[in-house]
Amino acid sequence: MDSFDITDPLSFLKADIMETLRLVIDPELHINIVDLGLVYGINVDADKNLVLVTMTLSSAYCPMGESIISAVKNCIEGHYESYTAEVVLVWQPVWSYDNISEEGKRLLGL
Amino acid sequence: MTSIKQNPSLYRIVVTHYAVSACCFLGLTLLMLLSVQAFTGHYFHPQILAITHLAALGWGTLIIMGASYQLIPVVLETDLYSEKLAWVSFILFMPGMVGLIWSFWIFVPGIYMQGSALLLLASIILFTVNVYLTGRQKQQETIQETFIFSACLCLCLTVALGAALVFNFTLPIFPQDSLYFLKLHAHLGLIGWFLLMLIGVSSKLVPMFLVSRYQGTRLLSWSYYLIIGALLYFLIDTYLFGLSYRTYIVLIIGGPGLACYFIFLYKCLRSRLRKQVDLPMLNSFLSFILLKIAVLLVPFIIYFHLKHNPATIRFSMVYGELMFMGWITSLILGQTFKTLPFIVWVKHYEHLTGKFKTPLPSDLFADYLLKAQTIAFLVFCITFMPGCYLMLVPLIYTGVAALMTTAVLYVSNVCIVIFHQTRTYGQL
Repeated sequence: MDSFDITDPLSFLKADIMETLRLVIDPELHINIVDLGLVYGINVDADKNLVLVTMTLSSAYCPMGESIISAVKNCIEGHYESYTAEVVLVWQPVWSYDNISEEGKRLLGL
Repeated sequence: MTSIKQNPSLYRIVVTHYAVSACCFLGLTLLMLLSVQAFTGHYFHPQILAITHLAALGWGTLIIMGASYQLIPVVLETDLYSEKLAWVSFILFMPGMVGLIWSFWIFVPGIYMQGSALLLLASIILFTVNVYLTGRQKQQETIQETFIFSACLCLCLTVALGAALVFNFTLPIFPQDSLYFLKLHAHLGLIGWFLLMLIGVSSKLVPMFLVSRYQGTRLLSWSYYLIIGALLYFLIDTYLFGLSYRTYIVLIIGGPGLACYFIFLYKCLRSRLRKQVDLPMLNSFLSFILLKIAVLLVPFIIYFHLKHNPATIRFSMVYGELMFMGWITSLILGQTFKTLPFIVWVKHYEHLTGKFKTPLPSDLFADYLLKAQTIAFLVFCITFMPGCYLMLVPLIYTGVAALMTTAVLYVSNVCIVIFHQTRTYGQL
């Protein structure tokens, strides 16, 4: 996840969106996608009212991939009505166990 | 990225296969109840033939075909080639299966049995063509693809040999009797179709459902070549010379092949992120234990056969039951509640997720019914198999009653999933 940059006027909004994305739950693991470490970054284009979410999935053939992407878009557009959301799926860096936050590990019983 | 992509027509095909297959399971238990005495005799018996074919075709194959239309595109990472072809295959399959089972039950090996066998053959060829053309759209070849294509090819050969055996009842096609080819027909189906297909699909699904970190494929490649080697050796050697001491070589080749697959599963289990293994996955692991027990019976079948000891019939009977009613049934009983809720959930909630609080796929089936179903199935395993070996009719009756309970609970739970109504718990 991008670090918080106090000089960036959109940092508060990005952090807020990241918190909002905790509402999106992985349907199989029952854990939110932020604590799973699936969200790599959030960019906001204030001119175009566009939120760009860079994220990955636990595997390239994840059967629920479409649902998770759809949930991310729905979640952002539902909470920030003036914005549209786009998701960019990336496979580098490859998602791994190390991406899971401490809270995520606790929820997984690790 | 390939995901469960849902469109209404594909959904209808998949759910129809699951629903019909569940009804076949219920029908199967009813036929078993009507044939309890037959389980104490030889396996080449009209009622046992009808039951075996209902288990293999209506229960095992039909649900695998349905799941394949949804999951093969996930496993092969491409779209299904043709939904129309899938429907035509299903439409040919149903009368073929019903006709064949009825003809076996009353044992009239005439035109109806032959026509049914040909309908089934046509259906299976169309299914194979559909799977082949689905995979051909993809550039990169994976070990899963090799497993799945080989399995489909073996299914075609199994049904072709089965059809030839049906014609052999009235037209002398083979110089030997049908029993001679029954071993080849059965193992082409059990090992060639079921085992290869289930390894191919499960090697993608098990790591996915367990969220496993293990990604290696070397064990799967070894497993594939050893199992195929064992199967080819068995088919050629048994066709040319019948069962002999050389048949033990099949175990020397195939045993390590199966062991590679089990080690693969173990590695997935060890490296899983999700520590709690849910009930559907526990059912699946039970199925692997039943498969191991079935394979351990093979040396006894060969030994007693070579000694001309009638115990070989009892062991063969229990072996077949462990394969069909143990391994395959347990795997389906578990995996149905991993795959079907996802398929139904995507249809109902994909557009709502992220906007509203929705149920999760695992909320779509009744957990208490699945628990009761698992207990009933365990009772079936520990009563029916020993009952058949010891020829104890009360024990067989207890087992069949437990399996009927399993089937009723299973069908009820499948209905709960299929007829699920969309509901939300307020906005997120």
